[in-house]
Amino acid sequence: MQEAVSTTEKARMGLPATLFYRFRKAAKALKRFGAIAGPGIIVMVADNDAGGITTYTTTGAKYGDHLLWFLILLGPVAYLVQEMTVRLGAVTKRGHAEAIFHGFGAFWGWFSLLDLVLTDWLTMITEFIGMTAAMSIFGVPAWVTVIGCWLLMGSMILSGSYWTWEKIALALCVGNLIYIPAAFMVHPSISDVLRNSLVPHWPPGGLTNELFFLLMANIGTTIAPWMLFFQQSSVVDKGLREQDIRFAKLDTAIGAVLTVVVATFLIVVSARLLSGQAVESAAQAAVEIMPVNKYVGTIIAIGLFDAGFLGAICISLASSWAFGEIFGWAHSLNQNIREAPWFYAYYFFDLVLAGTVVLIPRAPLVLITLFVQVIATTLLPAALVFLILLLNDKKTMGKYRNGTWQNVANISIVLVIIVLSTLYGVTTLFPGVLE
Amino acid sequence: MKPFSAVFSSLVNQVRAINRRYAKPQIEMTWFVKACLLILRLYLFVLVSLMIYKFVKTLKS
Repeated sequence: MQEAVSTTEKARMGLPATLFYRFRKAAKALKRFGAIAGPGIIVMVADNDAGGITTYTTTGAKYGDHLLWFLILLGPVAYLVQEMTVRLGAVTKRGHAEAIFHGFGAFWGWFSLLDLVLTDWLTMITEFIGMTAAMSIFGVPAWVTVIGCWLLMGSMILSGSYWTWEKIALALCVGNLIYIPAAFMVHPSISDVLRNSLVPHWPPGGLTNELFFLLMANIGTTIAPWMLFFQQSSVVDKGLREQDIRFAKLDTAIGAVLTVVVATFLIVVSARLLSGQAVESAAQAAVEIMPVNKYVGTIIAIGLFDAGFLGAICISLASSWAFGEIFGWAHSLNQNIREAPWFYAYYFFDLVLAGTVVLIPRAPLVLITLFVQVIATTLLPAALVFLILLLNDKKTMGKYRNGTWQNVANISIVLVIIVLSTLYGVTTLFPGVLE
Repeated sequence: MKPFSAVFSSLVNQVRAINRRYAKPQIEMTWFVKACLLILRLYLFVLVSLMIYKFVKTLKS
């Protein structure tokens, strides 16, 4: 079928025919986008995981709306970083772990893989902490939540179809938008929210150690190492090709907008209902909001569970894909358990191990949460440096390698993230070192 | 059911095969790439040393 219509042919067709042609073209593009979209939206929304929800509620409670502009700034940053994984995956057809092994050799490959596995496992523990805390608000015991989650997470992948998994994950992404109505329920001043979103400024009190720590936590929740591994492997598993990059970028951009929107609305809620209170977790925030507004409190608890669930399935998959790529196991969600036993065994093993830790009485959960931040700090700079170098490899990337402006933007972002995340890691290890 | 030693030795063989397969980095080793990898090694060395120091200090206290 001939797709291209020349200008002279268009002129001869007349207005109705031209409109029909344009409508058909747009409909086809939309259909194609619908088929390609998924990995970008999922990874970006899953980025607002249980830890992220806690960070946003703490940010709102402590600094009100004053840091909204900073979060909005993080949206494009997250997009620019994640977009590189789309190109790398679509062009090389390799997941991120395999790309590092292939590009930089076994030493850096093992370093990245083992660091990823440790970071992912510790992060998953924090997801289970979030889910059990959220369900405990409704009186559900932790062991029931953990076992229920294992069953649900298991049933999601039993179909042996990437599409089924993706549809369920996208439904969970919709669940993450629950904070939007919650923000409208607290009747914020739109002009205040807009001013604090668009005009960069420090909150009253200026730049303090506490503020710096919270800014770092916000960066840490927006750009995480597992996201690079997840999206690239997801692009490969979905079978995206070079010609799909344009739509996959749009998918990532929509995801970046969604992640910022969810974070912004949650901060608006906690700024209104928890102002000045010391909030240490999203579950605590939900409990404290309940007497003030039980609907909003319930929404925060449901959103926290949804965020933890989405985060856990994505993070576990990121590790399983990485192991499958390196060990040569069958590692696609399009294969069933018989066809890819080790891939699914690792997926379940990760989930079961993380869930079990939460059930251990007096487990050092606070220490684990801190440890996640420090370990992630060691992986993030390495993962970002590898990403930039791979995206500049002419031999591998050809015409899809980074252009000059992409390099200027991405290298600047990576340098800033490396400096800030190092400071974050050091201050987590040695509190008060910057005082 | 395979005995544990057989599973372990199979795993070691797999790791060796992976090390052989990825023995040579495939990226073009320009001065920029070499410099970045060197800086990364130094960075990680310092950070891991700090973590070990903190861990030992915490254990002692």
